[in-house]
Amino acid sequence: MTFDERLKAICAGMAARGLDLIVALHDGAHFIETPNPVTVISGFKSLGPAVCLLRVDGAVTLIVAPAWDEPRVRALCRRGRVVGVDDVVDGLRAALPPGKAAGTAGLDAAPYGLARRIAALLPGAVAADDVVFDAAARKTGEEIAWAREATRIAERNFAHLLAIARPGMSEDELAVALRLHAQSLGAEDNFLLLCAGPHNRAVAPSNGRRLAEGDIILAEITPSCRGQLAQICRTAVVGAAPALLREKYALVVEAMNAGIAAACPGARLADVCNAINAVLEAQGYGEYCHPPHIRRRGHGLGFASVRPGDVAPDNDTVLAPGMVFMIHPNQYLPETGYLLCGEPVLMGERGAEPLTRRQAALAELR
Amino acid sequence: MLTMHPTVLVGPADWDPVRLPQAEFAARLAAFWGHCDPAIAGAMVFGGPHHHAELAWLTHFTPKLEGAIALIPRAGAPRLLVGGGANMLGAAKPLTWVETLLPLRDAGTTIARWHDEIGGLALVNGDAMPFGLRQSIDAALGAAPLDATALVTEAMRRKSSRELAMIREACAGLDAALSAMYDAQRTRMALSDVVLAGERAARQRGAQDVRTLFGREGRLAPFTALDQAIADPLQVYVAVRQDGYWAEGFAALSQSALPAAEQARATLTEALRLIGPGAPYRAPAELLAREVGAGRMHPVTRNGFGGPMGLALDAPECLTTASRGHFAAREVFSLRVGLQGDGGAAVVSAMIVITETGHDVLWPGATP
Repeated sequence: MTFDERLKAICAGMAARGLDLIVALHDGAHFIETPNPVTVISGFKSLGPAVCLLRVDGAVTLIVAPAWDEPRVRALCRRGRVVGVDDVVDGLRAALPPGKAAGTAGLDAAPYGLARRIAALLPGAVAADDVVFDAAARKTGEEIAWAREATRIAERNFAHLLAIARPGMSEDELAVALRLHAQSLGAEDNFLLLCAGPHNRAVAPSNGRRLAEGDIILAEITPSCRGQLAQICRTAVVGAAPALLREKYALVVEAMNAGIAAACPGARLADVCNAINAVLEAQGYGEYCHPPHIRRRGHGLGFASVRPGDVAPDNDTVLAPGMVFMIHPNQYLPETGYLLCGEPVLMGERGAEPLTRRQAALAELR
Repeated sequence: MLTMHPTVLVGPADWDPVRLPQAEFAARLAAFWGHCDPAIAGAMVFGGPHHHAELAWLTHFTPKLEGAIALIPRAGAPRLLVGGGANMLGAAKPLTWVETLLPLRDAGTTIARWHDEIGGLALVNGDAMPFGLRQSIDAALGAAPLDATALVTEAMRRKSSRELAMIREACAGLDAALSAMYDAQRTRMALSDVVLAGERAARQRGAQDVRTLFGREGRLAPFTALDQAIADPLQVYVAVRQDGYWAEGFAALSQSALPAAEQARATLTEALRLIGPGAPYRAPAELLAREVGAGRMHPVTRNGFGGPMGLALDAPECLTTASRGHFAAREVFSLRVGLQGDGGAAVVSAMIVITETGHDVLWPGATP
C-alpha cells in the first residue's frame, strides 16, 4: 500500500459515510497507545498541536503550531497546504468551509481545553476515527521499511543493555543510557519500559531502584523512526539463570511461537491470542491468562495508527498482508514473576514474518 | 518552549525527602487551601506526561507513562489515582510523598463518591485532561467543577529557596550540555553527535530530562534522523530538567565570530538592565522589539521574549509588549533575543531570578 492509496481509501470511507470533510486533531503529546490521525493523513509527526482538514476530494490542509515550525512542516509535507499558526483553533476557524458535513478524528484523546474549542466549532460533526484508522490498518511500504529499521535499532539497543547493565546501576541510569544509545543509532524516540526485581509483577517505567544480583530485568524496547514504532520484549537475569526460570521462559517462547504460527491472512487476532493461551493453559496457567494478570498478547504499532489493535480474545479483526503488530505473551507466572517475550511481525501472504533477526531468549548478565 | 514530546518520560524522578521535605509540600498545600474558596472541601489535581507542573508541585509525582489524578482533601490524607492499572503502583510509589496510591480506573464514579462524602470539589489542570475523561468526570458530578488552576499556577511562580537550588542545578546541567556541544563542534563532530554530546553531558549530571531543538542557519527543529554533516554555525535550544525543575537556553554555536549572536547578546544585556521587582513585564519586551525591529525578528521570538520557568517547560510566554504583569521577587524567567538578517541568524538567552532589589543571573548564556 502507498500513502496515496491510503488517502484514497480514507476519502472513499468519507464518501460512504456522507462526509465532506474530516477534521483530524492531535495535541503533540505523542503516546504509543494514542493513535494520531494527523500523522495518518499528513505523514507528519507534529511538535505541537496540529489539525488536519481532509476534504472528500483528497485535498489536505495542515494547520500547525507553533507558527515558527511552518518551514520545517512544509519541507516534510509536500502534499497539501501547510499553515503555521499560534493557535490551531483560530487557524481552523479561518480554514473551515461553511455548511459541510464534517467528521472528527482524535477528539476523544485530545486535551479537554483544546478539544472543547474544536468541538464548539463543529457542532454537527460526528466521530469518524474509524474512517481514518481503519484505512491505516495496513502499513505503507515506507512505514514497513521504517519498522524494519526501528527493529534493527531495538535489537542493538538490547545488546547494549546486556553490555552495560550491572549490579548497583539504577533502573533510571540504565534507561537513560539506552535512550541515548537508541538516538545515536537514529531513533527519534524510544518508548522504553524497563524495570527489574527478583519477582516482577509487570513491566513498568524505570525508577531509582538499583539492580542487584538475581534480579530479572524486563525491557520493552520500542524505538521510533519517522513516526513508525517497532518493539521487542526481552528478559535478562543479573547472574546465572536458575533452571526453573530457564524452563518457564522456554514455555513463554513456545507460547509466542504458537501465536506467530497462528497469525496468517484470514485469521482473527483473537485466534492468535487463543493459540498463545492454549500453550500456557495446557501447563496449568489458565488463571494467569486473563485479567488482572494479562489483558492482551500484543498490539498494533504506530504513532499514526494502532490498528489492527490488540491481540486479545475479543478482537475479531481479520489479519491481512501489510499489517504490522506485536506478538508478546508477556506472562506473569507465580514461580518466576513477569516475563517479557515478544517480537514485531509483518503479515505476509502466507503468514507472520518476525522483523527481528534473533528471537527472544533468556539472557544472562555474567 | 515547545519541544518534541517523548512517548515515555525516562530519567530519575524519585522523591527525595532530604532535598524536598514533606514540610515543603505541606506549606504549599496550606497556601493553596488558604486562598481557595472555603466551600471547596477537596481538590482534584490532574497531570499527564505532557502537562503535570501543578501535580508535581503538590505531590512531587511526575507521570512518566500515563496520567494521574491526586484527590486532595482540605483535611486529611491525599490519594493518588495512577493510570496504567494496579501493576503500575509499585513503580509509581517512589515518585511521590503521597502514601495511598490507587489505580486510575472509572475515575468518574470514584470522584462522584468522593464528592458525596466530602462536598464541593475544585479541579486543577482540568484543561489538560483527555476530553473523554473530563467529560466523564463532569457527567458524574452533574456539572463542571470549580477551576482552581490559576490559584496553583500563581502560587508556583514565586520559588522557595529549595526550588531555587534545584533550578541552579538545572542551569549547571544546561551549561554542561552547551559546553559539551561547543567542544564537540570544535573537534568537528557531525551535527547529531554534537547534540548527543550535549544531552549526554546533562544526563551524566543526573538530569531528569533533556530536550533539544537545533538546526543550521538559525533554524530550530527536533531530532528526526541522524545528520552526519558538520554544522557551524549551529543554532541550538537545550532544556535540562533537574529534580523536576527546568532550565532552558538558546545558543548559536560557532568556532568563529557570529555578528548576529554578538548583536543579540548585546541587546539581551541591555534588556536585562530593565528587570527588577515591580518593573513591568513589557519593559524588556518593548526594548527588544524596538532594538531588533520587526523586519529582523527571528520567528521564535516574534510573539514574545520568554516567560516563567519552573516545573513547566512550556508555560505561556509573558514577556511580551502586550503583557500587563510586573516582576516580583523569587520569580524565575528565561529571556531570549532572536534576530536574522544579513549578519546571519541567532537566538540567545539568559535565565534570571528576581531578587528584592533587582535580579540575579542564574544562567548568563553560552560562554565558549
